[in-house]
Amino acid sequence: MEEFFQAQDIIDPKTVLVHLEAHNKKEALQKMAEALRKTGYLKDTEKYLKDVYLRESKGATGIGGYIAIPHGKSSAVQKIGVAVATLDEEIEWETLDEHGVRGIVLFAVGDDDEAAQDHLKLLALFARKLGRESVVTALLNADTAQDVQAAFSDN
Amino acid sequence: MNIVGISACTVGIAHTYIAQEKIEAAAKKAGDNVKIETQGTIGIENALTDEDIAQADIVILAVDVKISGEERFAGKKVIKVSTQTAIKSPNKLIEKLHELGRQ
Repeated sequence: MEEFFQAQDIIDPKTVLVHLEAHNKKEALQKMAEALRKTGYLKDTEKYLKDVYLRESKGATGIGGYIAIPHGKSSAVQKIGVAVATLDEEIEWETLDEHGVRGIVLFAVGDDDEAAQDHLKLLALFARKLGRESVVTALLNADTAQDVQAAFSDN
Repeated sequence: MNIVGISACTVGIAHTYIAQEKIEAAAKKAGDNVKIETQGTIGIENALTDEDIAQADIVILAVDVKISGEERFAGKKVIKVSTQTAIKSPNKLIEKLHELGRQ
């Protein structure tokens, strides 16, 4: 991995939704996918969401600690990206602990990997950070898109 | 203790790397040397060398899919769990590795 890129570079402030108003998983995913489509990451929201739900059906994407990482590999993805949402109220989600979810990171990856190796590497680096408690805590406390970026710049 | 392993999940873009981070952090906290190879969408990263494997006391496979190169661990003590187990209870997993590694 070139040090040139950093994990937080994958975050586009336009697809960060802090204090998102969503009462359930479906609503949250819909709004996040819509943000990705509007900013040019997706060609087709519905088609993309179908692939996200396909992954959801295969096992919990709630990793515990109030965080969920739904993701889909989909031909409806225009370019690799992530949407990040924080919620004031916990919503129900299939998770690895007894909690629901207050922070959601939605990954969008196309089904043609060849063209996007650099971005995929960046995404892996970014995903890895979600395994750190300090990053997760900062993310859940974020008030602005800048706070979210700062959460992931923690080394 | 010297721990090596592999993480790999279904889609290969998220759980693989979170599991790697969790295992490495928990092992370091317990004072171990640790190296986890990832097999994801981008292919193999942080690849284990023959030397890494030769020196390992125990091998942890946190995998949800078929991995490549499992035969490299022939003759080693190998524990296989899901990426979910590694993400959910990394400290417990390391304890378990210590128990079995010592035997």
